[in-house]
Amino acid sequence: MSKYPEYSHEKGRACFDRALKVIPAGIYGHLGPSEGLWIPIQKWPFYSSKAQGSYFWDLDGNKYIDYMCAYGPNVLGYNDPDVDAAAMKQMKLGNCTTAPSSVMVDCAENLVDTVASADWAFFCKNGSDTTTLAVMTARAHTHKRKIIFLKGYYHGDFQWAQKIDYPGILPEDVCHNLVAPWFDIPALQKLYDDNDGDIAGLIAQPYDHGNFYDNVPANKEYWQGVRKWCDDHGVVLIFDDVRAGFRLDIAGSDHYYGIKADLICFCKALANGYNMSALCGGEHMKSTVSGMTYTGSYWMSAVPFAACIACIDKMKKIDLPNHCRKLGTQLTDGLKAAAANNGFDLVASGEPALFYLRIANDDSLMLHQEWVAECVCRGLFLASHHNHFINGSLTEDDVKTSIDIAEDAFNVVRKNHPELK
Amino acid sequence: MKDQKTMAYLNMYAVLGTLENLCELDPKCKEILSGIKKPVSLCFDVKDGPAATIKFTSKGCRMEDGVKPCDIKIPVSSCEKFNQIIDGTVTPVPSKGFSKIGFLLKTFTALTDRLSEVMQPSEEAMKDREFFELNVKCTFYTIAVALAQIGNQDEIGKHSASYMVDGDILFGIKDGPTATLRVKDHHLVTIKQAPEKPRAIMKFSDIDLAYALFTGTANALECVCNGSIEIHGMASMIDNMNRLLDRVALYLG
Repeated sequence: MSKYPEYSHEKGRACFDRALKVIPAGIYGHLGPSEGLWIPIQKWPFYSSKAQGSYFWDLDGNKYIDYMCAYGPNVLGYNDPDVDAAAMKQMKLGNCTTAPSSVMVDCAENLVDTVASADWAFFCKNGSDTTTLAVMTARAHTHKRKIIFLKGYYHGDFQWAQKIDYPGILPEDVCHNLVAPWFDIPALQKLYDDNDGDIAGLIAQPYDHGNFYDNVPANKEYWQGVRKWCDDHGVVLIFDDVRAGFRLDIAGSDHYYGIKADLICFCKALANGYNMSALCGGEHMKSTVSGMTYTGSYWMSAVPFAACIACIDKMKKIDLPNHCRKLGTQLTDGLKAAAANNGFDLVASGEPALFYLRIANDDSLMLHQEWVAECVCRGLFLASHHNHFINGSLTEDDVKTSIDIAEDAFNVVRKNHPELK
Repeated sequence: MKDQKTMAYLNMYAVLGTLENLCELDPKCKEILSGIKKPVSLCFDVKDGPAATIKFTSKGCRMEDGVKPCDIKIPVSSCEKFNQIIDGTVTPVPSKGFSKIGFLLKTFTALTDRLSEVMQPSEEAMKDREFFELNVKCTFYTIAVALAQIGNQDEIGKHSASYMVDGDILFGIKDGPTATLRVKDHHLVTIKQAPEKPRAIMKFSDIDLAYALFTGTANALECVCNGSIEIHGMASMIDNMNRLLDRVALYLG
């Protein structure tokens, strides 16, 4: 008998069936069944009705401890009172206005004071807006064409960041993309030589946190080597800190690894769910960015700026990176022990704040997907293919409950697989 | 854009290769084959392209990769020429096996005519459920083999294959045909039976859904979302197989 009975999702499914008629794929993208890998779909909640702190509730009233955090934006907890109060206060003053609110300047100053490599901030809405601006800026700055990516990369879904075989992508969209393996500086040199030095920039996430494989943290030595190589060759170093930003280091993940990137992209954790992103960079890049033709209808809306200031202040106040590291470690240690109790080998990789999980008993991930599904339908929201996220409102009690649910789910999977004994 | 060499590989292994399945599933083909007194082997050898030998018996036929000892040999000067032979715009000329020319003109032609009838059906014919199922099953095998050829030959397909990890993908229709797409060092091989230990699974809920997907009236991603396509395991393999499926539509659509 399972300690945590399996949830049912009748209302969620009914809503999803309505959605399938009017929304392509029902829920498209990473929050949906396809990219989100809901295997099997029946175990997933489809939609939320409300959220608070580290939890959300589905349409059927089931509660989930959420380790996906909307894939990152929920950094302080859903409905954080300080962030929401700042946003509501600004909402009454004005939001999307012809003359931007001065809170935009306050926000930029806050970022410059916070992020070690930032001398300025350029605001947009999504992570892709900033990675695109960064790549354009590198090209404008160097008058060169090619961009080096590191294997397993993800820098958003704009055409240039996709791959040649993706639907709707032309070879011309990606013909200046070069891919190097991680942790291999001689490979960068080879790409540089093979392309007659026509390299504008190198864009990378802080460490190898791709999907479907164990994540590999970087180290200071590697990034200092890359920094030097970029300096020696006039290549703009772009840190894509959209996913990891602030959870490793409030001063930026480049600071965490002891370097200063030329450009650094932020989005997810910037404003605790209020929609904004920012490209920051060094003084030497400012005039190039100033000359870019790049804007959007909502990019200077004031409410997210107010939320961002409150969010950054609170992340500093609670020492978010330390909190994420501590609870991420407690959680992954507990999950691994729960797995071992049931005869499973659970591997936790990457940084504890953004831990990635994989059951290593088989190489197909099928057991892992089965376990994740049993966790999700018992109130522990995980993903089978992607790194997870710790948030500032998570408590040690949440961690204990999570491990308990996980153990229950391991027990269910073990009973379903007597052949594993 | 279609690449002639890739098309030739598809025509050889995916299209002509489907004769194996058609002969097994179709009573009309069985009737045609029943006239064969002694096994006959036919080899197509395409310059700078594919080569395969098909052995016909009264029970069925089997294709083997490469030039094997054969009764009839048809050398083809280029991939373009071979594609024209399959399109029916050029007549194949054997270099060996003139005594078996009757087989080529009668039996083989009757089989390939039947293959065309099944693979390029009229709307009227598809109203017959038995014929419909025969069409979908044969199309399934054609597509399954085409996946490997595109992954190995087409420039964009090779890119998709370059992201695939080693292992077997089970590709199938529930209560219908199943195939293995085997990946080893980014080289793909299709085996027309289920793998023993798949690393990834992509299974269509029924034959009607498979038909909708093959004819482009349904989208695989949408079907994953509505639950009519079941996926398990190493999803990056399936993701890249889907990109190959997109290319199959370009070549065979």
